[in-house]
Amino acid sequence: MTKAANISIDDAALVQQCRQGDSVATETLIRRYQNRIYNAIFRICANPDDAAELTQDTFVKVIENIVNFEGRSSFYTWAFRIAVNLTLNHCQRNVKLGIKSLDAEDSKDDNEDKGVLKKFLANDNLPDPAVVAQNKELCRLAVKALMKLDDTQRAVIVLRDIEGMNYAQIAEVLDIELGTVRSRLSRARTNLREIVERWF
Amino acid sequence: MSQNEITNIDELLNSFIDGELDARHQTEVQRLIKHDPQIAERLLQLQKCKRLVSSLPYTEAPQELLGNIKASLNERKPLVQQQQRLEREGARHLLVRQLISAAAMIALVGVLAAVIYSIVAPQVTIVKPVAVDLRLQPIAPQPKESTPVAVVATAEKPVEPILAEAKFTGRLELKTTSPAEVAAFINKAIEYNIPSGERSVAVPGKLQESHTLVCSRQNLRVLLDELNTVWDKIDSAVLLVNTDRPQGQIVVDAVTPEQISEIAKQNDFQSQIKTAKFFAAMNNITERSPGKEVQVAFDNSAPALITIPKPVLTSSEKPVTKTAGATQAEQQVLLTIVVTGSD
Repeated sequence: MTKAANISIDDAALVQQCRQGDSVATETLIRRYQNRIYNAIFRICANPDDAAELTQDTFVKVIENIVNFEGRSSFYTWAFRIAVNLTLNHCQRNVKLGIKSLDAEDSKDDNEDKGVLKKFLANDNLPDPAVVAQNKELCRLAVKALMKLDDTQRAVIVLRDIEGMNYAQIAEVLDIELGTVRSRLSRARTNLREIVERWF
Repeated sequence: MSQNEITNIDELLNSFIDGELDARHQTEVQRLIKHDPQIAERLLQLQKCKRLVSSLPYTEAPQELLGNIKASLNERKPLVQQQQRLEREGARHLLVRQLISAAAMIALVGVLAAVIYSIVAPQVTIVKPVAVDLRLQPIAPQPKESTPVAVVATAEKPVEPILAEAKFTGRLELKTTSPAEVAAFINKAIEYNIPSGERSVAVPGKLQESHTLVCSRQNLRVLLDELNTVWDKIDSAVLLVNTDRPQGQIVVDAVTPEQISEIAKQNDFQSQIKTAKFFAAMNNITERSPGKEVQVAFDNSAPALITIPKPVLTSSEKPVTKTAGATQAEQQVLLTIVVTGSD
């Protein structure tokens, strides 16, 4: 059973209380999911301010529409669906306006980056995640590579590799077929690999 | 390796990395990795990509986010409530409109159904049963001097009132220059064609002679057919239809035996009146036209009468006559024939 499934055991009860206007239940729901939703949004849009605003909009929309939540899916995937839709709409709007995240543009492919990547990719063994996380240069490159992907591919990678959703949950959140999740994720990883390889 | 094969292998390898393969495919991928170093290398690179992304540090939401969400919800609460109220009102208005539309539709369908029914439905003429008293009390006072004499069908026992659908009642006034001859002929014709129980005794007078018949339509037709022989000696023939209804009487001048028969054979009063009016108008026009050409035209268009062969006595036996009781149900004609001499 995944982490998401464990959390949603009493989500239904909280949702029910929230529908009846219980502010404590509402606050509990927000506290339970705010960090995860913020983190996913932040990894998709790569801007902390936008991520905070989009998370706020997500929860406002969730609470206002919770009376219409029919329980056909879990609250977890329903809330993420709202969050991802808002974020992808925001990204598309920014693309139209020609706005790009500063975080994605503020670095240059210097020799140091190449060295870090070369070491990472040349290693015959899988590096320890904790080691990768501590390597700030590597993280910065990972974010930069992510931002090179298009929004939908980035969303599917974030939901799988950062949020840890299974394919069925991703299909529910993005409202696409399971096969589409499989092929989109494969294309996204392949593209990511090609982006990273091009840098060294 | 083609591009399609690479794509398929990549999908397989990614699913393998994510643990989304069934046991069979998982075994297949493990076999591929074991035997193909290129695929093994590709798998490693994909795993590194996954590791690179999944190792990104977890970023927590700003502390003030919860407060901001609450504030935003509180700000929007009146708006949301107003929106919900408007939605409820809208739903209520929609329901009312739907109900009104449904009621209008039902009313429209009802009106249309009534109109269509009035067009399509066959017109049914309701014939009201009329009680007829065959004891025949004297009929309403007649003009001139002719006083019809009512004759009881069976003198000994009174006839029970029966229900007749549409009885024909009439008075035929004949004027002739040779009343004796005509009266004698009519007497004879009645004697031969009308059973004794269905006719009255002739009442001779100074100026007129009258007969009252209570008979069936068929017998009346036979009698009228017989009277055709003497009709050319009659100067004036006037038929009063519905003499039992003084207010609804129709007078047909210059009537012919065929016309009398046609009127009498109608099964309801309305048809009798309609036919009588038609013949009255036709005869009136004919009398007024110089050459009486109209008569021919009308006569040609008049409904054909059933010609009943004239009864001929072939032996000395008296004709079999129906008793009054036997013919009671058929006796739907009450006709008074008055013969007077013309001046």
